[in-house]
Amino acid sequence: MDVTLEHYLVVSGVLFSLGLLGVIMRRNLLVIYMCLELMLNAANLALVAMSRYNGNLDGQIMVFFIITVAAAEVAVGLALIVALYRRRQTAHVEDLTSLKS
Amino acid sequence: MVDSQQLREYVPVLILAAVAIAFAFGTLALSVVVGKWANRSRRTGHSTRVKDIAYECGMIPVGDGSSRLSVKFYLVAMLFILFDIEVVFLYPWAVVYKSMLVDHANLIFGSMLTFLGILFVGYIYALKKRAFEWKS
Amino acid sequence: MSYLQLLGLVAPETIVVITALVVLGLDLLILREQPLRHRFWMGAAFAAFGCVLAAAWLLFINSPTHPAGEVSGALPLLRGMFVDDGLVRLVKVALLGLTVFTIAISMESSFTGHVGEYLALILLATVGMMFLVSAEDILMIFISLELTSLSLYILTAFNKRNVKSAEAALKYFLFGGMSAAFTLFGLSLVYGLSGSTGLREIAAKLEQPALDPLLVAAIVMTVIGFGFKVAAVPFHLWAPDAYQGAPTPSAAFIASGSKVASFFVFAKVMMLGFAHAGGSGSWHAYAPGWLPVLAVVAVASMLLGNLAAIAQSNVKRLLAYSAIAHGGYALLGILANGPSGVTSLVYYVVTYGLTVLGAFGVVGLVEERAGEARISDFAGLGRREPLLAFCMMIFMLSLAGIPPLAGFFGKFYVFTAAVGGAKDLGLLWLVIFAIAMSAVSLYYYLQVLKQIYVVPVSAESGSLGAPISSRIVLAVIAFGVVALGCAPDFLVGRLLAAIKLAAL
Repeated sequence: MDVTLEHYLVVSGVLFSLGLLGVIMRRNLLVIYMCLELMLNAANLALVAMSRYNGNLDGQIMVFFIITVAAAEVAVGLALIVALYRRRQTAHVEDLTSLKS
Repeated sequence: MVDSQQLREYVPVLILAAVAIAFAFGTLALSVVVGKWANRSRRTGHSTRVKDIAYECGMIPVGDGSSRLSVKFYLVAMLFILFDIEVVFLYPWAVVYKSMLVDHANLIFGSMLTFLGILFVGYIYALKKRAFEWKS
Repeated sequence: MSYLQLLGLVAPETIVVITALVVLGLDLLILREQPLRHRFWMGAAFAAFGCVLAAAWLLFINSPTHPAGEVSGALPLLRGMFVDDGLVRLVKVALLGLTVFTIAISMESSFTGHVGEYLALILLATVGMMFLVSAEDILMIFISLELTSLSLYILTAFNKRNVKSAEAALKYFLFGGMSAAFTLFGLSLVYGLSGSTGLREIAAKLEQPALDPLLVAAIVMTVIGFGFKVAAVPFHLWAPDAYQGAPTPSAAFIASGSKVASFFVFAKVMMLGFAHAGGSGSWHAYAPGWLPVLAVVAVASMLLGNLAAIAQSNVKRLLAYSAIAHGGYALLGILANGPSGVTSLVYYVVTYGLTVLGAFGVVGLVEERAGEARISDFAGLGRREPLLAFCMMIFMLSLAGIPPLAGFFGKFYVFTAAVGGAKDLGLLWLVIFAIAMSAVSLYYYLQVLKQIYVVPVSAESGSLGAPISSRIVLAVIAFGVVALGCAPDFLVGRLLAAIKLAAL
């Protein structure tokens, strides 16, 4: 079986949807972060596949930068979790309820 | 440039969103159904405590699943990720370095120097903030 | 092309980056032992100096006289990565101005001991916004968007003593991360369809009138991503929480600077990148494209923002919902889809940013004294603090759109642009709706003013004891709001002149 652009895009779409579902449905903040990363990596996969399909390297260059940005995002996210955990002893989204009108 | 005829062939890709969501929700629903079915045995008395532990066979887990780690681990992890990932830019840079050196010598050199310079400032900052000291 | 030429091209950004690093180092190495107030003053003075220097460079040195397209011709390495024209420069100067004011209103605050980091992050966010404004390439747009957002997440979490701060930052981070993923996925589809990352090239390659389903998906995802960033309904959920929990100067910066940059780049992506996929949102001439999508988002933002604001008892949340509503009005500028739309949009978001910055300044002073920023905490402010109360009145009336303040002309320009932007007054329905909604908004702004001027002072509350510098800054901002309203031509004239050259 030939693996075509379509296959890559389907996989990346599935990854993106799974990541989105995870972000919406999971309760643990760390798992939510992983799902966010999954969404970004779905975009990465699509970019690499399309870069090959289009026959230029722009997409792959973008992937380099996205990987770096994702790492920075994880660092900031982890820092925020640590900050929250120190105050509240929790890493679950359902405990984030102190902000109300 | 891609012509529209070719693109039309990739229209099925669009359906992927629907398929993906259906798949994800389907799996979730399936797990609920299967879970109910599996738990049924508990009522008939076939379930044991063994069924409820993390690995049904093999190793018997020791201690709590979520043991507490020092915040230091996260701090080191963060710093590691940040400094580790920068290598991503060094590789492509090294690949084109020689060929760029002919015409754009100070461009290729200066840009990496700036990049590493900023990275170095970050390193000094972390050092001064004592982020690398394990004992505190 | 040499590296120094490259640095010269981005000199203002370089200046701000260096300032950020120097402020960070200065605070860490030299000012460490000094009292907090002293550190804040020194750091803020230095940071503001850097911003002013960058703004001066933008205004006076190497002013570009040619359309943007030719610049990229002269510098083939940059191909739309960095665009430098009169319009972009004006927006950047406005951004730097907002940054200076943000720094000025945070100068006397005591929520953090990490002065260097705080100021450096504000400056880095500003750099991100400046690059964002210059970017005409999806890679640059994504990176600068992330630089801005990541800085803002941390700024939101800066009040370590307050539990709400970290929680607000986490919510902001989760929604922001999701929006980044959406933007990226949408843009990656655009790249796949066009084979290019430059907005102008993308537009040229997506020229066929028929809408590809994949392109529709790309447009929707991009709109979702940017919708999160500008807090448009239904992607607004983070805004009230982030505004309420964040330290007030950070909230002010999120509401002003980041709004200006996000709206500008939103307009750019839509008008340049999807130039041929606009469709139509007119009443009887509906056609699929991004215009109808945005029209729906705009209506929802105005409706929900204004109605939810009425029910708020916390002024920061009230300002957040009003920001959502104002996002809806500003979307009308993008919907106008043309030079007049861009002019009105920039004027609108800049004046809005200035006004809301001032409003947050006053709120911050009240909050410092009362511990919270409920509407009832403003009771009798007119007696206790005549100057601050007067400033707040100007800001509130400007937000409501009362002539002759800047907010009125902002709305006026946006509405006229939207009416003229579509064929046969097609967007008139939207404008009529917007005017009706801004009449509704007057109600909750007057609620605040009623507390300030009508409700009697309770016995124990005296003056706020606000520092003199904050009073001066707020008075200057209020003066700016009045001046921009009385002489809108000062900004609009320049914008029109710049946009003729910008070829947007």
